[in-house]
Amino acid sequence: MSDVSGGRNSLYEKEPKIYPREVSGRYDRLRKIAVFVLLGLYYLLPWIDIEGRQAVLFDLPARRFYVLWLDFWPQDFIYLALLLICAGLSLFFFTALAGRLWCGYACPQTVWTEVFLWMERWVEGDRNKQIKLDKAPWTTQKLLKKGTKQFLWVTFALWTGFTFVGFFTPIKELGASVLALSLGRWELFWGLFYSLATYGNAGILRSQVCKYMCPYARFQSAMFDKDTLIIAYDEERGEPRGGRKKSDDPLKLNLGDCVSCTLCVQVCPTGIDIRDGLQYECIACAACIDVCDQVMDKMGYERGLIRYTSEHALKGEKSQVLRPRIFIYATLLTLILIGIFVSLGNKVPLRAELIRDRNMLFRELDNGLVENIYKLKLINQDDQAHRYNVSIPAYPDIGIQVFPDPVLEAGQVGEFAFTLTAPADLGAGSMVIEVLFEAVDDPDISRLSESRLLLPAD
Amino acid sequence: MPASERQPVNETSPAPLPGRWGRSRRDWAISLWVAFLAACGGTFLLFALLDPEVLSEAWVLGWQTDLRLTYGFGFALMYGVALVAARLTAFMISTGPRDGHAQGRGRRQPPVVRDPGELNPDLRGEEWR
Repeated sequence: MSDVSGGRNSLYEKEPKIYPREVSGRYDRLRKIAVFVLLGLYYLLPWIDIEGRQAVLFDLPARRFYVLWLDFWPQDFIYLALLLICAGLSLFFFTALAGRLWCGYACPQTVWTEVFLWMERWVEGDRNKQIKLDKAPWTTQKLLKKGTKQFLWVTFALWTGFTFVGFFTPIKELGASVLALSLGRWELFWGLFYSLATYGNAGILRSQVCKYMCPYARFQSAMFDKDTLIIAYDEERGEPRGGRKKSDDPLKLNLGDCVSCTLCVQVCPTGIDIRDGLQYECIACAACIDVCDQVMDKMGYERGLIRYTSEHALKGEKSQVLRPRIFIYATLLTLILIGIFVSLGNKVPLRAELIRDRNMLFRELDNGLVENIYKLKLINQDDQAHRYNVSIPAYPDIGIQVFPDPVLEAGQVGEFAFTLTAPADLGAGSMVIEVLFEAVDDPDISRLSESRLLLPAD
Repeated sequence: MPASERQPVNETSPAPLPGRWGRSRRDWAISLWVAFLAACGGTFLLFALLDPEVLSEAWVLGWQTDLRLTYGFGFALMYGVALVAARLTAFMISTGPRDGHAQGRGRRQPPVVRDPGELNPDLRGEEWR
């Protein structure tokens, strides 16, 4: 055994650099569309204005998130939690249904790596030229090509970092700061940090991220079953593999349909051989399907030697798309989405909280009334100013004093002294009361806030 | 314990030896303990920088919080986050390549690649894009 005789390093083999061959086909077109749509959204959204403000802006200093026509406050963190649950459920749903769609078409690692690969090909040429260039000694030509590629990569990474910060600082102001060389420290830090992450992940690490670092690659198999769509090589049809002329009869040569051209390996961005079976390194980009279909066309064979299929279908058994787990994921996803939309549709742009004065339970006044003191916090989440009426519909006898007047500008948070005076015989001990806050100019903006009124026990 | 009653110690031994923990239990115990340490440090740092009274005052939470509840909630949150990170780390390590991976052990050979036209004359001269 070489390990024993030759020692620990005898088996050492450097991970070969992967030079994915360019491919075209229907799945490649789909991925290109996904790249343009997703990166288009990423790079363009911050530049679009809606209602006089940036369409998507996470304004951390003001603690407000603007997403298209919606305006989220810190108190709306429930929506963020629901959104994360939806993202998780979507991942489960689509993985159970169609395998690693996320990895192949939508993962930022895939999308940005694709763009970095395009730039590499523009400058260094196709796969063979890249291999040749890397093996060649350093010449002016090689230096020029490598330098141009690095320049393009770094520029694109910097633009990506700039855009990222543009989601948190108004991007037009940010652009002006960059031009005036007056970028803030934190903006500079996050811009460079995100640029470096983009450059490192998409330019240098590439498929190593998927193979070694990505948790999804490890646990996605738990969401798979024998009816999940996978990319698979039809071993029954393809083997025994071997080269031949188009005019040869494979049956006479005792060959399957695989012509052993190894193009499926050459186009694979993770450098695997799909003919070895389903592997966790496979990101389901379907490049091997596209190139194999081209070879099959050229050889005059039926397409689909490598194809989207399921384990059941591959064995010639019936494959079920609608399965219990699909129903469960779809139902949960639909219910939560409906909940979010209904809740957003009924969202009232007013928040009110009554906090009891901690120093005193109540005070008995000379006129026989009992006084309770609270701190009232009101937040106007609307985009215009409002004055608010305060009442306690169930107990009209209770007197209400709010100081100063409850008038708030758009987006303003106000604190008020809030005093209730109730007849001593209204009740005994602690009573639950509901206070109604209502915008004077818009009765639709109203909110009930629950608190406790304390009265003498006897 | 008499030698005849002992479990044979080899890789195919099906039952764990008495008093010895399996991989999963060890991973859980380590994760819980490490997450606890991280949560203690994290909670200390969090509330050194952030006054718990401010949480209510700043109106992030929709209710008036008791001071001890805030500390408890902060610790639980830190513990939860640290535990998730610890479990994910244990999972990634246990499902990752074995020792010696970088030296080539346990790794299948890189796939053989050749010119498509080498064995198939009809595929020569194509760009295959």
